Amino acid sequence: MPDVLLSFINLIPVTIAQSLIVAFVVLGIMIPFRLLGFPDLTSEGAYPLGGCVTGVLIASGYDPVFAMAVAACAGFLAGSTTAFIHLRFGINTLLAGILVMTMLYSINLRIMGRTNIALFTFDSLFKDLNPANFNDPWFKIAVVGTLIAVILAALYYLLVTERGTTIRAVGASPDMAEAQGVSIWSATILGVGSASLFTALGGGIMVQSQGFADVNMGFGILINGLAALIIGEAITGRKTVLRQLLAPVAGALAYYQLVSLCLSLGLAPADLKLATGLFVLIMLALPALRRGGGVPQLKEKIRE
Amino acid sequence: MLEVKGAARTFYPGTSDERRALAGIDLTLTEGDFCVVIGSNGAGKSSLLNAIAGKLKLDHGSILIDGENVTRLPVHRRARFISRVFQDPMLGTAPTMTVAENMLLADLRGKTPRLVPGLTAERQALYRDRLAILNLGLEDRLDAPVGLLSGGQRQSLSLIMAVSNEPRLLLLDEHTAALDPKTAATVMDATIRAIAEFGLTVLMVTHNMSQALECGNRLIMMDSGHFQLQVATPEKDTLTVPDLIERFHVKSDRMLLQA
Ligand SMILES: Nc1ncnc2c1ncn2[C@@H]1O[C@H](COP(=O)(O)OP(=O)(O)O)[C@@H](O)[C@H]1O
Ligand SMILES: [Mg+2]
Repeated sequence: MPDVLLSFINLIPVTIAQSLIVAFVVLGIMIPFRLLGFPDLTSEGAYPLGGCVTGVLIASGYDPVFAMAVAACAGFLAGSTTAFIHLRFGINTLLAGILVMTMLYSINLRIMGRTNIALFTFDSLFKDLNPANFNDPWFKIAVVGTLIAVILAALYYLLVTERGTTIRAVGASPDMAEAQGVSIWSATILGVGSASLFTALGGGIMVQSQGFADVNMGFGILINGLAALIIGEAITGRKTVLRQLLAPVAGALAYYQLVSLCLSLGLAPADLKLATGLFVLIMLALPALRRGGGVPQLKEKIRE
Repeated sequence: MLEVKGAARTFYPGTSDERRALAGIDLTLTEGDFCVVIGSNGAGKSSLLNAIAGKLKLDHGSILIDGENVTRLPVHRRARFISRVFQDPMLGTAPTMTVAENMLLADLRGKTPRLVPGLTAERQALYRDRLAILNLGLEDRLDAPVGLLSGGQRQSLSLIMAVSNEPRLLLLDEHTAALDPKTAATVMDATIRAIAEFGLTVLMVTHNMSQALECGNRLIMMDSGHFQLQVATPEKDTLTVPDLIERFHVKSDRMLLQA
């Protein structure tokens, strides 16, 4: 077997572990985008926020589970701030997300007091559960896989409850939801807030897995997550709530293996973001290209 | 049960584009009233319904439902009393959700949604029965996304959703205007039957004058934010389409004179 393929195959477990963690972020991108009709960029700030909060607390001697819980709450706050900016001032969701993400960069720096913290010597979720073999990728896969399976099961249950159905209605048709007595404000704040909660949780798990927290760790995570989501939806489809919920995990798993394969085949890491960006662009442009090449009407506004 | 007092709303006040959508309107509906509203384009009919539903804020005036002042309540908090069918079939239903999920949302209107499974077997059976009344086969498509239905089917579904759980007040804003004549007749027929069956209190906007004379016990003709004519049965029953057209002409002549 050629060396390149061998190195790819050796990396499979590590890559699976990494993609299961990033699946939290993809879930945090999918929820506002697909379930609430609220394209959101907060992830790019909420992911390092979760990482920084978790890192600082663990380095200060707090229990890793407590640290992740605080990180999740901080994530919820970030997402609900984006939702509030959009609802209260009528600012486009993407711009609201950029504002929050930019402000979070300073906040993350303030939280950590420096640009990165090494966590190798401190406690972690993985060390707590399996002190002897905490760095084994298969062990990480079991832990993170269980966690995300539990979260997806809970989310699925919640989304088909009475309350969950009203929240999905806000994404499907705000006018209709409002007329049926659903508060657009509470559904949006709860939904976008929860999405950033999952993103921040992903950041919190990632810093424990990689052994350090860094304010720049969010850079490009959004496009990676979007690429993963697009691939995931191609695999699972979007017909039912269950399929839509499985798409982030399926997509993250497939996307990171693809990236790993490309890298082992000789793609320069420096070109990775360009390649990912082109991939997302092509996927998003496909419907317009299929329609027969005419330039679509532009109707996006900054304020809506 | 519904009291509108001195409702006024002007768009772009103080500019050359100033539009008086509602010029101080008083309207009282009693339980079981079926009031039809007609008037030319821009007369303020939709504004009146939007003001009652909470979608349009008033400059002056107040709105009471069952004696409760709802003037400051947002749309979703008035849904406890009010249901509506929009003119646009796309607005009244959620296209990416299934027929059953849309029915569930209407079923939950004005209630506090709980963290218990929404579409139970009993509910599905109930919705199947409710939809079967329409004779459109929707009862067999509970799991189909509403986006796949035709405009007429969607509007019929909106109607069934709006009358489910017997709202205190039903608002209909030209809800058959976007449909072809045959479908419009079917939907209107289902509307009249549902209103009679549940004894609903209704405010219905239409541009069809013979329909306005056939339906309901009250008739209002609006013109530039005012009520130009208000009749109730038995006088309403003596009115004819030519009478109404004459009223419209009085208005157009005056507009010509002003011009
Ligand atoms: N959102 C709005 N912004 C500005 N003007 C409006 C708006 N809604 C209604 N109007 C104006 O108010 C007047 C009444 O409109 P409307 O209530 O829709 O009339 P109708 O339903 O009787 O055709 C019209 O002159 C219309 O142009
Ligand atoms: Mg109108």
